[in-house]
Amino acid sequence: MGTATGIIKALNSGIKHIAIKRFTLRYPEEKLKFVGDGYQFDPSTGVGIAGIKGRHMLFHDHCTGCQLCSIACEGVAEAIAMVKVPDSQTQNKKSIMPQIDYGKCVFCGLCVDACPFYALYMTNDYELSSFSKEGLIYTPAQLAVKPYVQQDSEIQITDRGATHG
Amino acid sequence: MTAELPPGLALQKADERIMTLNVGPQHPGSGHMRIVVQIDGDYIVACDPDPGYVHRGEEKMAEYRNYITNIPHLERPVIHDSCNILYPYVLGAEEILGIEVPERAKYVRVIASELNRCIYTMYWLAIYGIFLGHSTMFMWPAGDRELLIDLMEKMTGARVTHAHFVPGGVRNDLPPNFEDTCLRQVNYFERRIKEYAAVFYDNPVLISRTRGTGVLSRQDAIRLGTTGSVLRASGIDYDLRVKEPYDVYDELDVHTNVMKEGDSYARSRVPWLDMMESCNIIRQALQKIPKSGSVRTKLKPNPKTKGPATVYKRVESGRGSLGCYIVSDGKPEPYRVKMSVGSFRNLIALPYLLKGEKLGNMPSVYWSLNYWPVEADR
Repeated sequence: MGTATGIIKALNSGIKHIAIKRFTLRYPEEKLKFVGDGYQFDPSTGVGIAGIKGRHMLFHDHCTGCQLCSIACEGVAEAIAMVKVPDSQTQNKKSIMPQIDYGKCVFCGLCVDACPFYALYMTNDYELSSFSKEGLIYTPAQLAVKPYVQQDSEIQITDRGATHG
Repeated sequence: MTAELPPGLALQKADERIMTLNVGPQHPGSGHMRIVVQIDGDYIVACDPDPGYVHRGEEKMAEYRNYITNIPHLERPVIHDSCNILYPYVLGAEEILGIEVPERAKYVRVIASELNRCIYTMYWLAIYGIFLGHSTMFMWPAGDRELLIDLMEKMTGARVTHAHFVPGGVRNDLPPNFEDTCLRQVNYFERRIKEYAAVFYDNPVLISRTRGTGVLSRQDAIRLGTTGSVLRASGIDYDLRVKEPYDVYDELDVHTNVMKEGDSYARSRVPWLDMMESCNIIRQALQKIPKSGSVRTKLKPNPKTKGPATVYKRVESGRGSLGCYIVSDGKPEPYRVKMSVGSFRNLIALPYLLKGEKLGNMPSVYWSLNYWPVEADR
């Protein structure tokens, strides 16, 4: 193949892209849709349930303060600290619950795997930026709030290329 | 030669023509490493690669954590290829802990591993494009890589650093309808990467810059101990997925891509051909995967080992053969974890390839070695 033919072929391949749909999505307005309701773990079978590994969610009525999540985090990120909470839950004898520092968390989800009481899940919420380091430390009360996430953009493959709609 | 001065600082007294030049570690074209080159005019006389700027002590860290908590940090050296870099460690840990892996988990691992290989190679190809001043070849792979990252996100819950493989299988089952989505996106991905031929691989500008530069002969490739795409580009048919099949690779039909030239062009083309082969493997695995069944053997949080043992396992990663040597003394933590990575073995060829080359050819020869600085330093 001659040099001129090769260059024309290369240019032609690029020009075709004028007709192709936009692949990127306008992030703050549009957000990617994720599978499921976040990463969860079923202790009876020992297998996780697929989902995005985002901010944790703590169920106060299941947490017994056994510290297994904190032990699982030792040597990984050391992000989980057990803190004292008001003793309103009867199953939590020691009245301690995890507090997670998202400045340290690596979102591996091993704490979720360690919880034997379905008390700790991960959610689709990944927008955790804060103006201060203290703002990244989530107390048990903050972790109990279910995040509001609206994600609807999905990859669609059409004749004119892939697009996020 | 002035031997007292540290390398890279001395202007040669013996021959004023020869100048020592530091490329990196802050140079955008070097990665996290320094390449000390001695140049005579425009020609490279000698070259001394100096890795080690991003050494994190992963191997030492692994001695203080148990077999499960080692997983998140051992995948850090190559975050794009995190399933493959965990693969030999997980295979070795399974042998030490004495765990059987369910059949479905093996197929899930193969799919994740092949998707990761494509994600890594696309990133590598994007950087190769920008090294050669071809900004289209930076944009296209960086965009098309998103298709596969979205698949990995559905599968594992994270875009990079998946922490998906564990001793005993994988962390979670495939999400519903994953097979259809995966097949559709992989088919589209394959169609897209075939378009790269016209714009990049058949482009006369690329061919004139890379053909015949940095030729690594068949004998040298074996003698220097290179691996992966560098070895296959020099005409040696060697792929661990075929030669030493692990998990279910022996049930799949894997074709090895070999090129004879051994120059920068062949080394840049073989990973691209490998990506198409990966698409083939993913399609086969999606067909053969058992429709139901467990994906993980239940494991205690702090598993006990059977006793003192030594294992060495290796897999074919995006950069070549990746080995993991684990010594266990019967405690919950490994006594020693040693990783033999493809990047470091390919870097050995760099001084031999650059001798006599023009300085302008250095980026294309250097990056065609399929080298990832962070993995080499560990």
